[in-house]
Amino acid sequence: MKFSIYRFDPDQDKKPYMQDYEVELQEGDQMLLDALIRIKAQDDTLSLRKSCREGVCGSDAMNINGKNGLACITKLQDLEEPVILRPMPGLPVIRDLVVDMTQFFEHYNSVKPYLVNNDPPPETERLQSPEDRAKLDGLYECIMCGACTTACPSFWWNPDKFVGPSGLMAAYRFIVDSRDKAEAERLENLEDPYRLYRCHNIMNCVDVCPKKLNPNEAIARIKDLKILRAKEKKTRKTIPITSAQG
Amino acid sequence: MMIELLTKKYPGMRLWLAQRLSAVVMAVYLLVFALLLIVKQPAGYEAWMNLMSPWWWRLFTLLFFVSLVMHAWLGIRDVFKDYIFNPGLRAIFQLLVDVLLMIYLGWTIVILWSM
Repeated sequence: MKFSIYRFDPDQDKKPYMQDYEVELQEGDQMLLDALIRIKAQDDTLSLRKSCREGVCGSDAMNINGKNGLACITKLQDLEEPVILRPMPGLPVIRDLVVDMTQFFEHYNSVKPYLVNNDPPPETERLQSPEDRAKLDGLYECIMCGACTTACPSFWWNPDKFVGPSGLMAAYRFIVDSRDKAEAERLENLEDPYRLYRCHNIMNCVDVCPKKLNPNEAIARIKDLKILRAKEKKTRKTIPITSAQG
Repeated sequence: MMIELLTKKYPGMRLWLAQRLSAVVMAVYLLVFALLLIVKQPAGYEAWMNLMSPWWWRLFTLLFFVSLVMHAWLGIRDVFKDYIFNPGLRAIFQLLVDVLLMIYLGWTIVILWSM
């Protein structure tokens, strides 16, 4: 099977280039990651991230024939040859297929992805009704591979300001959590014209998400909630996120 | 209420909301306009004048064009923000668009009130 893979070693190369590989697949090689491991055996200078090899850790997200995805759950039989592999777009390349995800995680951190609740903890745990728990379905499953955020042109143009689909979905996951008490601050935290409102609903995020989640819907709901809250002018007291404990 | 949402208190939301509100105004106008065309089926200069010249319709038409200008202004502003990174260059392009949109709006008013 033929591959064309993006290569760049900042210590040696002045410019990135595409390198062709041909690999003999063995019985049992079903996923793109299987082929990449064979290529790596041929040429151990090729760098890539991988870990769980079953679509859970999100390490091996990359741009596969022009579309972001996880190598470990992308079937070889679905790929057109030569398979063109590039690092995820919009992030600095450390080497070959490995990108620097610092910016991505900074945005994730900026939405305070943890429960904020300063009420005295109950004896056992903070309980949630099955209905309230169901509100988190489709949100908590995000594995933070970065496929959606790096497929988003709004993130490409404003990587330092736009939180991106993954971070915004994490924000919504805590906004709707019945155990969280910082809804107002969380919504306020997304008010400037860039952090949330750079999303123009082109839905690249939905298209590429390897877990089949819908960040676009979460973003739309945040916008709705912001209007509702502004309308209600709720003076409900909530805890400032900065001084809260998780 | 809406006025408050469109004030400086919500710098991100007001632009987003303004674009959606202007879209709603345009959608309603176009729907009513389409219905009027179907019902009245104006043919010729006189019929069109009768259709367009009532003061309330002229006012609605003006509201439509104000919404159109606002919608276009916000949309183009977003595009410039995304693609023109040099602040000076962006300001020049924005100014050109602003002037052009204002000319269009002035022209619309002249046309509507010269009927």
